[in-house]
Amino acid sequence: MHLFLLIGLLAFSILAILSRDLLKSAISLAVASIFLALVFFRMNAVYAGVFELSVVAGLITVLFITAITLTRGDGDVAESRGHRIVFPLFFLALAVVDLLVMKKLLGQIPAIQGSESGTFSQVLWNQRTFDLVGQVGAISAGVLAVLALFRRDDRHGNAASDGGDTGGRHE
Amino acid sequence: MNNLWILNMGFVALLVGIGLYCLLTMKNTVKLLIGIEIIAKGVTLALVASGYARENLMVAQSLAITVIVVDVAVIATALALIININRHTKSLDVRKLTKLKG
Amino acid sequence: MLFLFIIVPLVLAGLLPLLGKVSKRLLPDLLASAAMLFLLVLAVFSARPLIADGGIIQQAFWFGAPLNIRLLLDGFSLFMLFTISLVSFAVTIYSINYMEHYGAKANYYALLLAMIAGMNGLVLSGDLFTLYVFLEVAAIASYALVAFGRGHDELEASFKYLMLSAVASAFVLLSIAVIFGVTGGVSFGAVAQGLKTLNIKYVVGFCSGLFLAGFGLKAALVPFHSWLPDAHPSAPAPISAMLSGVLIKVSGVYAMTRIFLGVFGLTPALTTVLTVMGIVSIFVGALAALGQNDIKRMLAYSSISQIGYVVLAFGIGTPLGILAGLFHLFNHALFKSLLFLNAGAVEQSTGTRSLDKMGGLAKVMPLTAVTSAIGSLAIAGVPPLNGFWSKLLIIIALVQAKMHVLAALAVLGSVITLWYYLVLQHQAFFGKLNEAWQGVKEAPFWMSAATVLLALLCIVTGLAFPFVIQSWLQPAADVLGKGVGVALNFIGF
Repeated sequence: MHLFLLIGLLAFSILAILSRDLLKSAISLAVASIFLALVFFRMNAVYAGVFELSVVAGLITVLFITAITLTRGDGDVAESRGHRIVFPLFFLALAVVDLLVMKKLLGQIPAIQGSESGTFSQVLWNQRTFDLVGQVGAISAGVLAVLALFRRDDRHGNAASDGGDTGGRHE
Repeated sequence: MNNLWILNMGFVALLVGIGLYCLLTMKNTVKLLIGIEIIAKGVTLALVASGYARENLMVAQSLAITVIVVDVAVIATALALIININRHTKSLDVRKLTKLKG
Repeated sequence: MLFLFIIVPLVLAGLLPLLGKVSKRLLPDLLASAAMLFLLVLAVFSARPLIADGGIIQQAFWFGAPLNIRLLLDGFSLFMLFTISLVSFAVTIYSINYMEHYGAKANYYALLLAMIAGMNGLVLSGDLFTLYVFLEVAAIASYALVAFGRGHDELEASFKYLMLSAVASAFVLLSIAVIFGVTGGVSFGAVAQGLKTLNIKYVVGFCSGLFLAGFGLKAALVPFHSWLPDAHPSAPAPISAMLSGVLIKVSGVYAMTRIFLGVFGLTPALTTVLTVMGIVSIFVGALAALGQNDIKRMLAYSSISQIGYVVLAFGIGTPLGILAGLFHLFNHALFKSLLFLNAGAVEQSTGTRSLDKMGGLAKVMPLTAVTSAIGSLAIAGVPPLNGFWSKLLIIIALVQAKMHVLAALAVLGSVITLWYYLVLQHQAFFGKLNEAWQGVKEAPFWMSAATVLLALLCIVTGLAFPFVIQSWLQPAADVLGKGVGVALNFIGF
């Protein structure tokens, strides 16, 4: 069962890459996310699964589709025709190497016992608080970046009224 | 238990591999971003699988969630860039982005 | 107290877009510069006594209530904090004048502060994963800052930078996931302990490779350098100074050194790889810089070359090598940001970055010409400026480690550096004044203040280098010299 879910995840990821239509790519990516969430649920990682479903399959897909519709009608980008031949070859080579390496590793990794205690929220709040600060930082950096990139152009602006103009720029 | 980890890691390697393939060969800026997303999926899977194998699942999930949040910020910034580039070049073709020598 | 290094810039970054609605320039200028001055003072005076007997772990407080955040401070992180604060202070006061014509100053400062918060968090984290998160915070802010002008070039450079940087982050994170899988922990102590007891060479080798590629991309070491000559020149000048001066060092060199020397332990194979990458970077960067006509591109290639020196020195792994690497890292932060700020002043006054079109600018911009000459001589390693001493230490360390060929090559690289900086000085500032620039004036007050500050520091660091080494570098070098021992001390972390 686990294996089938992983194969589904991989298949839809490949579809997302190879599909010619960007919207189909974005939707394949969302389906791949759903498979990944199911994998997480099978590994009892409920919180990660819910997050994957809501944020990656939901929010990121919405972002992608918005961007795709905003940039639509500008002509499709011609991808090289070679993908149909090159990609299967590449994938086959990758899979063979992967299989060999993993077979060699089988049973090589020693097991150590985890020392887990507490519920999810306790762990997130008590052990990984610093990461939460980092999350806040990442979100604000992202928001600020989007704000900066979509700002109204006030280059030749009307900002002289604020009195802080000490600039000595000469045009 | 460990063999499941290795199975998962095998698929992580495949996901990262096809993501890198996409980054190296595709010409559409949005497609490149989808490649990044696929690599990110692989990495999230690696984190959760590691936590599962080490019975450290709660920590692994916190890490995975942080990765997802950070990823959203990166994708939002990248899409904002792509929309801005699209205003200049009227295209999503990465081959139009060759003004700088590299 | 240490938490202030992260929370002050972060909170201010959140507030500035709102304050920017009230006052478009004055308030953002004032607050950003004040915040950076505050952090600089904090780094110099308050944080210093904390590391009197080795590293400490400090719990963070939020309005008196303890948080479950433990910040790691030792000589190495304090040294980086000091470097970050110093360069960012110079950059913020420079921006007061320079960013006038870009508009959206509040937004600009907010992004800059977010980037600084990210770097400070990275330096203070004692945990691989937290290090990754703050790496991304700084990176996201830097993408937007590179694209801040929103012209075609800026956007193109930023997009390329984002793509490569995202791959770098993915490599780093994948490596962290594998380490988490084999050791069951992500804090420095737990990982160092786990790797010590487990003895799994192949996994460590694989993770080292991923880290090398990831942080190599961030630091723009040679096979991974292609984004830097686009991204650094396209950004506004203060951001170029920030990126070349500190960001590539914090998110590339610091993170790499911290993990390789402090958590994994330096192996002979790693020494070979790092020294080879270092020496190749020195030459590729220097030779590419020689052929540039764009002043900022020349400086960007020169950054690749100088980062090569730093990585080469760390790669030697001897106490003197580490000390020399740290010293060169600090010096490069000073003179490279100085040179980028000067290039920005020239670009703003003349409207061009092409060296061919300049000439004789010393007559109309004397201050810029003098500070730029100091920076150029310092980076080329002319005594008694700071760059001379750090390069000398690197070469001595190489000779001591019996790497004579590398030492000779390092000297040769330094000669090439001197050559292209003389070309730069000659073409931009000396010779006959180009007719077109008769009306050009000296850079405005705050821009000159920033460059003069950095130039003076170059001279002072050069003259008083034994003091600098004693007070700032030795504690940092001691931490790195102890190798994994430091991480193992912090196991309860």
